[in-house]
Amino acid sequence: MKKAFLLLLSFFLIIGLSGCWSAKELTDLAITTALGIDKTEEGYRLTVQVINPGEIATQTQSTRVAMSTYTTEGKTMFEAFRRLTTVSPRKVYLAHLRIVLFGEEMAREGISKPLDVLSRDHEIRTDFALGIAKGMKAEDQLKILTPLEKVSANKIFSSIEDSEANWAPTKMVKLDELISSLVSDGKEPVMTGIEAIGSPEVGNSLSNVEKVKSPAMIKINRLGVFKGDKLIEWINEEESKGFNYITDNIKSTVGFVQCDEGGTVSIEILKNKTRVEGRVKEDVPKINISINIEGNIADVECPIDLSETKTIDQVEKKLSEKTNDIVIASVEKAQELKTDIFGFGEVIARQYPKEWEKLKGNWPEIFANIEVKTDTTVKIRRVGTITDSFQKEAKKDAKEE
Amino acid sequence: MRKLTDLVKNKKQKKFKTDSYSDMKLRGDGEAISPQVNEVLQDIKTTTGNSSDIVIRQFKVGKDGSIDIGIAYTDGLADKNFVQDFIIDPLKTDVRMSELHSEVMESVDLYTIIKDFDMVGGEMTEFTEMKKLYFNLLSGNTVVLIGGYSKGIAVGSRGFESRGVQEPSSQTVVRGPKDGFSEILRTNTSLIRRRIKNTDLWIETMQVGEKTQTDVAIAYIKGVANDKVVDEVRKRIKRIKVDYILESGNIEELIQDETFTPFPTIHNSERPDAACAALLEGRVVILVEGTPFVLIAPAIFIQFLQASEDYYQRADISTMIRILRFFSLFLALLTPSAYIAVTTFHQEMLPTQLLISLAAQREGVPFPAVVEALMMEVTFEILREAGVRMPRAIGSAISIVGALVLGQAAVEAGIVSASMVIVVSLTAISSFVVPAFNLSISIRILRFCFMILAATFGLFGIIFGLIIMVAHMANLRSFGVPYLTPMAPFIIQDQKDVFLRFPLWGMFARPRLISQKNTDREDTPSPKPNNGK
Repeated sequence: MKKAFLLLLSFFLIIGLSGCWSAKELTDLAITTALGIDKTEEGYRLTVQVINPGEIATQTQSTRVAMSTYTTEGKTMFEAFRRLTTVSPRKVYLAHLRIVLFGEEMAREGISKPLDVLSRDHEIRTDFALGIAKGMKAEDQLKILTPLEKVSANKIFSSIEDSEANWAPTKMVKLDELISSLVSDGKEPVMTGIEAIGSPEVGNSLSNVEKVKSPAMIKINRLGVFKGDKLIEWINEEESKGFNYITDNIKSTVGFVQCDEGGTVSIEILKNKTRVEGRVKEDVPKINISINIEGNIADVECPIDLSETKTIDQVEKKLSEKTNDIVIASVEKAQELKTDIFGFGEVIARQYPKEWEKLKGNWPEIFANIEVKTDTTVKIRRVGTITDSFQKEAKKDAKEE
Repeated sequence: MRKLTDLVKNKKQKKFKTDSYSDMKLRGDGEAISPQVNEVLQDIKTTTGNSSDIVIRQFKVGKDGSIDIGIAYTDGLADKNFVQDFIIDPLKTDVRMSELHSEVMESVDLYTIIKDFDMVGGEMTEFTEMKKLYFNLLSGNTVVLIGGYSKGIAVGSRGFESRGVQEPSSQTVVRGPKDGFSEILRTNTSLIRRRIKNTDLWIETMQVGEKTQTDVAIAYIKGVANDKVVDEVRKRIKRIKVDYILESGNIEELIQDETFTPFPTIHNSERPDAACAALLEGRVVILVEGTPFVLIAPAIFIQFLQASEDYYQRADISTMIRILRFFSLFLALLTPSAYIAVTTFHQEMLPTQLLISLAAQREGVPFPAVVEALMMEVTFEILREAGVRMPRAIGSAISIVGALVLGQAAVEAGIVSASMVIVVSLTAISSFVVPAFNLSISIRILRFCFMILAATFGLFGIIFGLIIMVAHMANLRSFGVPYLTPMAPFIIQDQKDVFLRFPLWGMFARPRLISQKNTDREDTPSPKPNNGK
């Protein structure tokens, strides 16, 4: 009995002794939503965007902002992180990170070194998006207040997410994907560019969100193309879209074709499946891209007769030709830059591992001259709630008069 | 443990050394009845200390008034009209008027004549010891003594004031019988007997409590109940040696398998239908005079989450409600601890938006989450206890004040966060969903343990606690039946009445470990139209 009692007592004492090891109260945390990494001569300039919970969830109006940024410098990333405690009132808590931004200058010099701490630290989850502050420092971009979303990191994250799903020329790049394309021989990374439009210097103050149209806004722009871990070029919207077609990253987008009579027909692309196949014949690799598109007619701005299947066939044919053009333009751009962002090398490596051993040493050169064939099939499923456009009738009337 | 109880016992014995142990029992143990009626009546008077409710009457009967008759009964326990009409009247008129011829007297004696020809009461016993006399007298029977015989007759004349059969105040149902057990043992057995008209329903009665001599009845269905369990119940009740039994809780504590566990190992109910259902599954029901709560043994964990209404509503509805009940059991047990663990250790597990809004609420709260949670939970427990214990008339005062302490006012004062109020409220309403009150108390105790574990070790501590809890439950037995049956040991046939409630035609067998013999119920076909063909 005595023994059992002592055992019980010591059990409770042990619980008490351990205390609340590694417990962190919510009020002791600076919840960080975005991280900006810029280059300095010595090392890194680190900017964290922390939220001010009281201002976000509050019902009453106040003149304080819902987020703040803290900036420190350090020779290494980790040193800079810890130095943040000197400027931040609470410990920076990184588990809820949404966005990591690299300044353009930093991205052009190489991004691989700071990535180590992001993937090594146990506190950081890997579900944040990475991006490049186009034409500016990451620090300045994180200071811009955004309307609607009180925290700009959330705005950037959901903008990337929505535009990737509905618009196509953007891409959400997450840490694991970025690292795997950095280490792969047959693939080069891309990253979304994030641009500040208007006058960024106003963005830092509350007056930015006091107007109906904010003077400074954040826009998700096209993709930045890397060679190794260095940013080399921004590709345009069309080429970015081509990139997403090839990498089978189109969920839904818009495509339009010209009518013979002038005007356009827009197609809402609902489903897309791309297959990339490689072939190596006598050490010469070739790439075949087959794209299967399904869509609806969304917008008719020319007098065509949609009740005839012939017309639909025509639209399908035109769209497939146009898609081929987009894809080829995108490939040609990458070939010009000699960087294999599509992962053609990986396709060859998977299908012809032996041949790949010979090819991979000189892959950028081979890639630049590789023959790429595209084959697009378009299927139009529905024409919407009306068949013929009323514009056709209107035109007839005009002619009769 | 044994040592500790021994120690307490020794101390007690030393204290009452002057009191002899026999004093604790009913007087008149082993004393024979004197043939002199007035001597016996005098004895009764002295023994009961001239208690005003003991009515003693002595008179003479027979043609020549030669026979001494003594009558004693307890006022209030015996039915006065019955005593007058069926005991005193026949004795005074019939016996006096009838001619007791000598030839009759020779073949049968006076005692037999009175006992067999004169007494018209239905229930009648003979006794030869003073102990029996007192027992009958104090149970409400009328004691009839006849001069010259060292034995007496006890005529059943019980008739006392009692609360009628009313709707049970605990374990209420929307659909189902509305009658509940009352304080009278006989009424309670009648409520069971009325539902089970079967000769196999056996009811054994015994007296427990050295001072109180409380009637305790064991009811079971012979042939369905496991004989070993019945024997064990009987043995454990017989073993009880205490002064008093005032409620079935006293019995429960003295016969349960394990004292040091938060979990109840004997079920109790106020509902005759629940008791009957238990009997029909092969369980033993223990009824105690003076309380509407009957004990049901052996009890398994699942039973405490089954309500009688489950079997009166349709199977699909009952199944959903039962799953809801399991869910709320976990909510009642773990909500505050999960809140503490997640907000102080595992902030990364929350969606960002939720974390932000929780953090916003906690801005300005001066206490750590544990302290806040403990404070609110303790307040709620106080409020609940006050609600049960206070006089009915001031009930509204508690609810008004309680709403202030646990509600918006506390949040506005900046002492607790709004989310904590929600957590406490959720815990509170979930704990009321558990149909058995004794299990819901255990959940209350365990909740605090889990809160401390969560505050020190986070989710790791909660899981650790759950493992220990389940291991402990698996270790429990109720009259030889593993507590977690039919989950551990897993019995596939018995799954029909655990998380799911099968339609009644699917409940083809009685629970296996409860009723080890005769587990097949009557074959009931599924009520589809073509099955009748």
